[in-house]
Amino acid sequence: MNEEELRILVVDDELGIREGCRKILTEEGFEVTTAGDGVEALEVFDGTKKYSVALVDLMMPRLGGLELIGKLRELDPDLLLIIITAYATIDTAVEGTKRGAYSYIPKPFTPDELMLTIRNGLERQALALEAKRLREERERRLLEVASERSRCGTILKCITDGLLVINLEKLVVLRNNAAARILPKASKLNVPFSIATLEDPKIEQLINEILEGDPGPRIVSRELNIGKSTFMVNISPVIEPTGETSGAVAVFRDITELKKLETAKSMFVSMVAHELKSPLAATEGWLNLLLTGLVKDNPKEARHVIERCHIRVKTLRTLVSELLSITAIETGNFQLRRSNVDVAAIAQRAVEAAGEKAQSRTIDLSLNELKLGKAKTALADEEALLLIFSNLIDNAIKYTPQGGTVMVQLDQNGMYMSLSVRDNGVGIKAEEMDKIFDEFYRIKNEDTVDIPGTGLGLSLVKRLVELHQGRIEAQSTPGSGSVFTVKIPLS
Amino acid sequence: MRPLILLVDDDRDFLEMNRGILEAQGFRVDCFTDTDKAWDSLKSRRPDLVITDLMMKSLDSGFSLARKIKSDSRYEDVPVIIVTAVASKRGFDFNPQSREDLEVMGCQAYFDKPVSPELLIAKVKELLS
Repeated sequence: MNEEELRILVVDDELGIREGCRKILTEEGFEVTTAGDGVEALEVFDGTKKYSVALVDLMMPRLGGLELIGKLRELDPDLLLIIITAYATIDTAVEGTKRGAYSYIPKPFTPDELMLTIRNGLERQALALEAKRLREERERRLLEVASERSRCGTILKCITDGLLVINLEKLVVLRNNAAARILPKASKLNVPFSIATLEDPKIEQLINEILEGDPGPRIVSRELNIGKSTFMVNISPVIEPTGETSGAVAVFRDITELKKLETAKSMFVSMVAHELKSPLAATEGWLNLLLTGLVKDNPKEARHVIERCHIRVKTLRTLVSELLSITAIETGNFQLRRSNVDVAAIAQRAVEAAGEKAQSRTIDLSLNELKLGKAKTALADEEALLLIFSNLIDNAIKYTPQGGTVMVQLDQNGMYMSLSVRDNGVGIKAEEMDKIFDEFYRIKNEDTVDIPGTGLGLSLVKRLVELHQGRIEAQSTPGSGSVFTVKIPLS
Repeated sequence: MRPLILLVDDDRDFLEMNRGILEAQGFRVDCFTDTDKAWDSLKSRRPDLVITDLMMKSLDSGFSLARKIKSDSRYEDVPVIIVTAVASKRGFDFNPQSREDLEVMGCQAYFDKPVSPELLIAKVKELLS
């Protein structure tokens, strides 16, 4: 603090003292304000200006010096208070220092005595202020550190991965809540505890690999089964700024669900492989018979074999395109191209496309439109809608014996249009009803053995319907037929 | 009497082509598309050999049928051949490597589809002799 900027308040009822001080102090570079008594001093000391020093006489009218000292100390704890007093009141002056005055100067005093006391006082004040500043800073930092620590602690506690910190003595010095949950032995122990007490040699071995291996950053990762779950355990060294290893951090991530997905995925791949292989093997088998001359040398039989190959190859091609569509839907790469589609026109097209097939099996295929009225457009993907309708109609024809009937009916159901395909075919048993929309599920019995199919049609239909925020339902009575109903929101 | 062979497969093409191959060799052939009906038929018409697909209604329909045949004292000596398009199950290679593998599977021979007519006929004749 620069002395030029220092402000001093001189409070004395003797004008001579006030002005004498003003003269001395102004010459020394202080800005001086004077007051004739305590009341006046308090009026000056109203907070608008910051005073560094106050010289206070004890014997004053209205408000005495002692009382004033008490009040000034309250108003500014850092203010340097110096008493100026006559010899007669030295005892009182001592009392004043007890109330917070720094020192006293007995009257009369020389300018040097005054300046010496003020300078010593200011020096002490500066030291006290610095000490106070340091103390405050230290407290603030401590608070920061404390809150930082508790924040880190909270984060570690709440993290879903299990966490163990192990020191060079192979003691676990930190374990979070998740680790306690994952490692049942760890939950009952208080840190620090030996890693050996976890009784898991695999974890111990991984930690040893890190602690006893080459220094420097690295990571060991293993899949471990703990209880009924599978964990990816990643262990890395704790490296000090000096480059030395001081321990290891082990993170346990639960990958049980991922493993289940992986199993489901490889199961699906096996199913796909089987479904691809079956028609290929059948075709190869037939071709073998043709090539080895085991098929009798007559054109009718040869043609039959070629027809069978043709059917199997066609099914295979459909299977591949359905598989691609399902994969595209699953990965989110399938985008519906929606427009206002005339539902009745699409139904008409699907029925017409199936006409030849129905005729060849003498199946009576018909389309009925009921109370569709004006509201017959749906905000839908035209191609997808055609695929949905065609698939259901094809299925109905396939699973209905010769001479049967397939009835397609369009209807309005509140905000939905519904298309139902009713057949009087072989029907579906109740226990198979849940599975018919599963991939590769095909109803297999003596009635269906001759019916070719991919096992993906209904699965694809269901996905497409759901992409349209629609619903598909099936009802059936084994032996007397099935009804499949699709509901798509109208635009 | 000519030997009776029971063919079980849910794929009509394999039933048809194998029936053709076997009948051309003079065998009698009964065809079934599901293992339950095939099992029921054993009582009235005891076959001399069974050829079954593996994956039909369930993943291991063929194994179940083979086990049932082998654990019934009336049929335990009936040879079973498994013919399948199952490549693998969860990455596990199904192809049996040894006689012990076959025994565990309850069968005397195992072929990948499509099996060549010569191989099938040779194996059938070997098992019936």
